[in-house]
Amino acid sequence: MFFHIYLERNMQLHPRHFGPHLRDKLIAKLIQDVEGTCSGRHGFVVAVTAVETIGQGLIRDGTGFVTFPVKYQCVVFRPFKGEILESVVTMVNKMGFFAEAGPVQIFVSNHLIPDDMVFQSGDVPSYETSDGSVRIQKDSEVRLKIVGTRVDATEIFCIGTIKDDFLGLIGDPGGAT
Amino acid sequence: MSIEPFRRLVRIVARAFYDEEIPAKGPNRSKSDKSDNRGIAVVILDALTRRQWVKEDDLAKVLRLHPKQLRRTLRVLEEEMLVIREHRRETVKGAKLYNAAIAAVSEDHPGGREGEEKLKVHTHSYCCIDYAQVYDIVRYRIHRAKKKIKDQLEDRNTIQEYICPNSSCGRRYSALDALRLVNPFDENFHCENCNAELVAESDKLAAVELGDGDGEDNARRRRHEKLKELLEKMDKQLQPLTVQLSRVKDLTPPDFGTLAQWEKRAIAAGRMSSNGEAIVDLPKASHGQGLTGTPMPFLGETKVEVALAGGDVKREEGKDEAAGGPTKVLPPWMIRQGMSLTAEQRGEAKLEMKSEDSAALAGPTAPLDVKPTEEDNEAMQKKIQEEYLKAYYAALLQRQQEAAQMAASAANGNMSTPGDSTVGDGTSEALAAQEMKMDGAEDEEEVEWEDATATGAMIGEDNGGGSGEFEDEDEIDWEEG
Ligand SMILES: [Zn+2]
Repeated sequence: MFFHIYLERNMQLHPRHFGPHLRDKLIAKLIQDVEGTCSGRHGFVVAVTAVETIGQGLIRDGTGFVTFPVKYQCVVFRPFKGEILESVVTMVNKMGFFAEAGPVQIFVSNHLIPDDMVFQSGDVPSYETSDGSVRIQKDSEVRLKIVGTRVDATEIFCIGTIKDDFLGLIGDPGGAT
Repeated sequence: MSIEPFRRLVRIVARAFYDEEIPAKGPNRSKSDKSDNRGIAVVILDALTRRQWVKEDDLAKVLRLHPKQLRRTLRVLEEEMLVIREHRRETVKGAKLYNAAIAAVSEDHPGGREGEEKLKVHTHSYCCIDYAQVYDIVRYRIHRAKKKIKDQLEDRNTIQEYICPNSSCGRRYSALDALRLVNPFDENFHCENCNAELVAESDKLAAVELGDGDGEDNARRRRHEKLKELLEKMDKQLQPLTVQLSRVKDLTPPDFGTLAQWEKRAIAAGRMSSNGEAIVDLPKASHGQGLTGTPMPFLGETKVEVALAGGDVKREEGKDEAAGGPTKVLPPWMIRQGMSLTAEQRGEAKLEMKSEDSAALAGPTAPLDVKPTEEDNEAMQKKIQEEYLKAYYAALLQRQQEAAQMAASAANGNMSTPGDSTVGDGTSEALAAQEMKMDGAEDEEEVEWEDATATGAMIGEDNGGGSGEFEDEDEIDWEEG
């Protein structure tokens, strides 16, 4: 699920950036530092949308670096148990398959894949139905439901299932969506 | 009457879930205490279905159980949310209030106990079945049980576990570790410790049979079969319960309120019942209500107690008004009367009011015709119904004669409606119809009996009205008959 929230961060800026473009430099650095990171509490930071306030800078003794407290607005993505996501398969093995939904990695173990889909090893390992009409392989697009999440300080990992109504393959590799 | 299905529900629940030895929860059960309490919960719940609020000491006496044993079981039932209990420290007066209420409500607790027991200030416990909650709890329990099995059956929402097959290592991993376990070379899961390839853990049910070693797939299939079997078995065994649940679904569960509310209501209803006789059962209470011209209550010794309690009632009424409970004016069984009471009950009430001899006959049978299912005694019921039928037809005949007379006199009077010409035909038709029914009564007793009483209800109402229109209504009814 996506959220639009306020966050705060202390930014350290090298003295060489001090000048007329200090603010731009600071924001550029913030975006570079923050976007794409993950915190267990807020999820993945997808995009910084606005910088609210930049506080008084504090010069660090000895280095000349200045620390600015920055309050900014950003979009975060945090997966939850029970949430339905659309994802792209990244890897298939006999234990199941891995998929990505944006920054989130999801593993679907084989017992959460419908029973009529069987693992096929080979050049392109896949899960497919006996008549071959449905085939999940690398780069397939799959809709899944999250049944478990593991939230660490810097990482979120999910377990998904496609064993439910309206879940499963929604697009073949390279197919237009 | 909406209480009977709920009683039956409780009885089924008791037999389905509490027929075994009830494991005592709580730490204070000593090892030496080996009393066999198998089935006691069933007995207690059955007894409670026949009562409303009851003092636990009295219940213990009636059931010939040790109060401690009773209390232990009740505590479990309370935890299971089937029974509500109330404890209160009470003086003699408080106990009298309860005794008065019990005298007003039930027959197996004769009043007049206040003399024999000199009550000090004691903590007394009371218990009562909370039918609404029983209904919810049982549905929830079945739902949970089913969901658990189904989830296992479909492997839904479960997180797979993996074991290292290396017997010296045996580490366990969950699917949440999957990312770390993937080996970049063969893309399979490897143990972090010994690098052996992990195997998926099969469920415990199958683990027992894993000895055959014919592979994961087989074990999985067998597990499925077992779970399916379990689910089927459960469906089958709980079928009477689910049937009863669906039967009860749209009924309003009986609600006796808190102990204080119940006492107040019971006494109020007791005062309303005719001639101060004890109300045998709830339907009787609605009977009393059905009579518009309530006779003056018999002012006996118990009534002195009631008057005493009246003071309390008033105080409690004030309290209830603060709470804003709408039920305080009318007890729930009276409110429900309009919804759940069938025409037959109203018909009986009217008949009683109408002619003395039929009332004398219908009086004792009236409460019983609702009760017999409780005894599950069909023969008894049939007998009663037959008797009732006889009494009813006797009364009906008399009624029709009266009606004919009335019609005749009405025709002489100011009545000039077209109805009066049809009255005679109508009644004779009705008579023929009734005779036919008499013949058919042996075969289709149940149905016919209900039919007959339904028309009886109409007659009663019409005569109660006693207005000029009644012939028309009569006519419609006769045609139905
Ligand atoms: Zn290992």
